Amino acid sequence: MSNVNNRFKKDLDKFITEFDDDLIICRCEEVTKGEIRRAVHDGMYTLTEIRRYLRSGMGLCQGQTCQILVKGIVAKELGISPMDLEPVISRSPTRPIEMKVLGNEGKEAL
Amino acid sequence: MTRYDLIIVGAGPAGLSAAIEAAKQGLKVIVFDENAKPGGQLFKQIHKFFGSKEHKAKIRGFKIGEELLKEANDFGVEVVLNAIVIGLYLDKEVTVNINDEIRHYKGDAVIVATGASENMVTFDGWTLPGVIGAGAAQTMMNLHSVRPGNKVLMLGSGNVGLVVSFQLLQAGCEVVALVDAAPKVGGYGVHAAKVARCGVSFYLSHTIIKAEGEECVKGVTIGEVDSRWRLVPGTEKHFEVDTICLAVGLSPMSQLLKMAGCEMKNTPAGYVPKCDETGETNIPGLFAAGDVSGIEEASSAMIEGRIAGLAAAENLGFLDKEELSEKIYELKKALLSLREGMFAPGNRGKAIEKTEEGIDLSINLLKKGYVGETEIERFPGVTRKKGVHPVIECTQNIPCNPCQDVCPKKCIKIGDKITSLPTLDETKECSGCGMCVAACSGQAIFLMNEEFEPGFAAITLPYEFLPLPSKGDKGMALDRSGKEICEAEIIDVKTKQVFDHTHLLTMKVPVNMAGKSRFFVVRRQENE
Repeated sequence: MSNVNNRFKKDLDKFITEFDDDLIICRCEEVTKGEIRRAVHDGMYTLTEIRRYLRSGMGLCQGQTCQILVKGIVAKELGISPMDLEPVISRSPTRPIEMKVLGNEGKEAL
Repeated sequence: MTRYDLIIVGAGPAGLSAAIEAAKQGLKVIVFDENAKPGGQLFKQIHKFFGSKEHKAKIRGFKIGEELLKEANDFGVEVVLNAIVIGLYLDKEVTVNINDEIRHYKGDAVIVATGASENMVTFDGWTLPGVIGAGAAQTMMNLHSVRPGNKVLMLGSGNVGLVVSFQLLQAGCEVVALVDAAPKVGGYGVHAAKVARCGVSFYLSHTIIKAEGEECVKGVTIGEVDSRWRLVPGTEKHFEVDTICLAVGLSPMSQLLKMAGCEMKNTPAGYVPKCDETGETNIPGLFAAGDVSGIEEASSAMIEGRIAGLAAAENLGFLDKEELSEKIYELKKALLSLREGMFAPGNRGKAIEKTEEGIDLSINLLKKGYVGETEIERFPGVTRKKGVHPVIECTQNIPCNPCQDVCPKKCIKIGDKITSLPTLDETKECSGCGMCVAACSGQAIFLMNEEFEPGFAAITLPYEFLPLPSKGDKGMALDRSGKEICEAEIIDVKTKQVFDHTHLLTMKVPVNMAGKSRFFVVRRQENE
């Protein structure tokens, strides 16, 4: 995280459109590369902030496919190594689940 | 709420191994797995494993899976399938979705062995149907007997990319290209060589520019990248394919550990918990084993699992500290020997130019996937001799030694250091039994007889394709690059139980082609 904070010492480069900005990165929530890059320039420097802001990684696969991709894009935008970015907070349920199942406590022993 | 001595999440190689060891010590163990079948990735692994006897070398992955399951059953381990662990909380409470009900379990110790998931890369068209993970391709072929496509491009030259490419060929797919942005083949050279000799072209320093097609993949364009990963204009190449396989690495599925409050760290092997040498996290009694604690091979996952299972037993008082260190001493040694050689985790990213013996590595192998004709002679397993003898095209230091163990005549020597290149003992006489050919997990051993008939040599090679050629079949011999170089005739086909589905083809080729001929295709024109 320390390197993320170092970012504040100098301003982020100005947002410049890239040719592949409309590439879908998070398939479940249809978030594009450009949206993620833009979010960094809007002040979202951590992966948890990006997730709340864009819903990337909040869909059916819960970031299984895109979290590494998002990490790479954010790190590049911040000019740091992906290793310096803390992954998002993990919460239950770790797998997609229907609300009716989540609320259905098994009472009798199997 | 149900309480167990030990709860294990994941019934793959690490989880099952941990369960077996813990149950042997008398623990009441339950294993949850979200899949319909146990074994994790093991049942997709139809190739023979590397390593030595204690690593179950030369046994096919799915057989190892069967052995583990049987052992777990014998020791009374309860394995619950279709059981999706959705949470891991304070005091080792585990919530599991079983039959659409949430069940609560408590473990005095918990081992998380959830494995890893496949990484993806993005390019124009990467979301088209037909772009799949290499692991997905393996699942389709080896678990469900479904061919993922007809014409496939593989991205990634690590062991997964190489092994799955070979399996695609075995399933009858055409692999049109094996592509990697890195300048060198990432996986074992022997895996690359067996793919290359089937005629698959390697494109190193290349990346996918675009997957084409409206509804699904119809084609793909790749291009060369320079040392700073920038596309070199004018180097585009187009292939007609219906499938693009991505084998670009794995990431540990460590979410449960993070949720439980484990201290985590970012490493080149992924985002993993900080563990001690037994796999115990900073939370006493909570362990991680296998890929979830850092991406490695199934062989090391099994040993890590065994260690974690024993450590959990010690944690709960089923073993004392001394018994534990005694029991894990050999396991730790076996684990260390797997982490040696030029592909060791510690060598990741290092440029290695010579073998441990001081021999220059084959550059052609790293760039094109096969050892060049002028390079092969400098390796100690490649010698010329009268009569029948093995030619061992093993050119990299990897932890593997079944060839030494199986030779009844003791012709092949590796020595105590498991990563050493095999050498031939010239004083011993080869009987031509072919055990080494079948046992070599890398399919890198051939039997050579340059005096088979005047002007003709006989070459015996490992063969794992169907239909199996039969004696008298005529066809073409292929060189190491997969190019047809001369006519060849099959003079013998050996199939034995001890060869475990590796058939030995012996083909007759002109003697001047003996040094080059390494594969065989039946000539098809006659029938068509």
